[in-house]
Amino acid sequence: MKRYSYYLSCINESMTKELDKSIELWQNDLDIDFVKLHESTCCGGSNLDYVSPRHFAFVNGRNIALAEKQGLDLVTSCNTCLLTIRSAKQKLDESQALRDEVNGILKKEGLEYKGTADVRHLLWVLTEDVGLETIREKTKVPLTNYKIAPFYGCHILRPSSVLGKDDPLEPTSMDQLIEAMGGKVIPYEHKNKCCGFHTLLVAEEESLCLAAESLEEAIEGKADFIVTPCPLCHTVLDGYQSKALKQTNTRKSIPVFHLSEMVGLALGYTHRQLGIKRHIVT
Amino acid sequence: MAEHKEEMRDITFRISRFNPQVDNKPYFDDYTIPVERGITVLRALNYIKEHVDATVSFRAFCQAGICGSCGMRINGISKLACTTQVWDELERCKIENVVKVEPLRNMPLVKDLIVDMDPMVDKMKRYSNWVESVMPEEKMGEKEFLIAEEEFQEYDKATDCILCASCMSECSILRAHKEYVGPAVLLKSHRMNVDSRDGAHNIRIAELVKDHGVWDCTHCYRCQETCVKNIPIMDGIHGVREDALLSRGVKDTSGARHAEAFMEDLEKKGKLVEATLPIRTNGMGWTLKNLLPMAFKMILKRRTPPPPPLVKPAKGIKKFREEFREMTEHVKRDKKGNK
Repeated sequence: MKRYSYYLSCINESMTKELDKSIELWQNDLDIDFVKLHESTCCGGSNLDYVSPRHFAFVNGRNIALAEKQGLDLVTSCNTCLLTIRSAKQKLDESQALRDEVNGILKKEGLEYKGTADVRHLLWVLTEDVGLETIREKTKVPLTNYKIAPFYGCHILRPSSVLGKDDPLEPTSMDQLIEAMGGKVIPYEHKNKCCGFHTLLVAEEESLCLAAESLEEAIEGKADFIVTPCPLCHTVLDGYQSKALKQTNTRKSIPVFHLSEMVGLALGYTHRQLGIKRHIVT
Repeated sequence: MAEHKEEMRDITFRISRFNPQVDNKPYFDDYTIPVERGITVLRALNYIKEHVDATVSFRAFCQAGICGSCGMRINGISKLACTTQVWDELERCKIENVVKVEPLRNMPLVKDLIVDMDPMVDKMKRYSNWVESVMPEEKMGEKEFLIAEEEFQEYDKATDCILCASCMSECSILRAHKEYVGPAVLLKSHRMNVDSRDGAHNIRIAELVKDHGVWDCTHCYRCQETCVKNIPIMDGIHGVREDALLSRGVKDTSGARHAEAFMEDLEKKGKLVEATLPIRTNGMGWTLKNLLPMAFKMILKRRTPPPPPLVKPAKGIKKFREEFREMTEHVKRDKKGNK
């Protein structure tokens, strides 16, 4: 069984609780053990890096050090947490002075940032560690009847200098995962576009315009649902869906699933078990 | 004998056409020409113009990635035609050997592949993107400005910008609202703000924090990913934000309040208190008007974030808080030292 330190994202603790619950359901089926990092704190959500770059390095150096103490890689299921923590890791790995400052503080807690733990996304664990072949073998209920629009979100793709797994403008990993589980991927130009989450409270109209475009293409492409590896994208595309589509006078709607829920469906769990009924659009 | 490699191929360029005097909307024309390996998209376009159809219109000048004139979308991505090899594009073609060429987005279309750059230039003016010298005019020429290596590093990369507008074309928010300042303009603002010869920081920042300014960037990193000069544009955008928050205290904007809430919550709980984030960002009135209808739906589905007292602090919060405050002390101490 492969073990990982599982980072607790703020949004999964409050608004998208079904995401972590669905992972708990199937992790054993795929021989994975996600050890929850209860001491971890908010990563700063793509804001702390410019509000206070040194707090940003400290907070995330500490998050990574907690995983290193367990001797495991850190895994998150939120794109923005992924980018934020990986950016901090890059800064810490580049600067001895910053590392010394952060470690000087962390010493009090018996922690040390060494730079040994990798910071990874759930999607990468599934496609790289578990592997598409195993996923194909373990699929109990193939997604054969579903046409699926894969919405990757930004912070798992860009900047590629920090993330560097998928092609930042033409990603394929989630497409392959869907196909391994028997689903049909629709051609979806908006797969690499932005959901608008990070400006929802500052420039709502613009954010909803972006969300509406991505939703509309999936609806027009006759997808049965959109799947996303990011709970922030999910919050916009599901929670704000009716508001976004109102702007463009679109009367239709489309369900949006978390990556973890789609995996759960293929592994034989029900909508109710996976928390899909908790979504705004069902 | 070495394996023979194909060095010549017939390639179709599917070019977006539009003549405002006769066309209602853009359409595509296909031009199939023989192309050798090593040929750039710009050379292919020149060939088409010279040998096939002289009416195909595009802008180009230096042919060496320096002037920034030939920005266009090639297979859907904004880039320079003169530095893009046709052969490199073949694997990105949706239809085999068909290269799609379209004008940049987010700017008014003039003809075929030519867009109007004036909106970008106007924004450069609106945000005072030039050095407004701190030296009085009568003193000029008497003494030179000495720039420290450290300071130069701050804007070295930003000065590589050739104003090709590829980033403006890829920008998510500019697509949603044409008044948005846009990445190239923000990058230039940052370059000017960190220049010690410049005396217009405050005027520039005051303009940048207004509506459609720096806080509207949604951090999608498309600008940076497609920059033809590999400039870390988001560092510049974050630089403007950092500047607005730390150096000049322009904090009374929703963007600034939203950003600072993260610091506040981290210190208190180690977690983001999402329930009150809209109120802290935009006030009670905005929140009731904009989010109340949605809140009802969310309550029904039990998706509302818990109220602040029920947000469970991260385990070991006391120790974390002490450490967090120690870092605050470090930052304060260094700030004093710099004064």
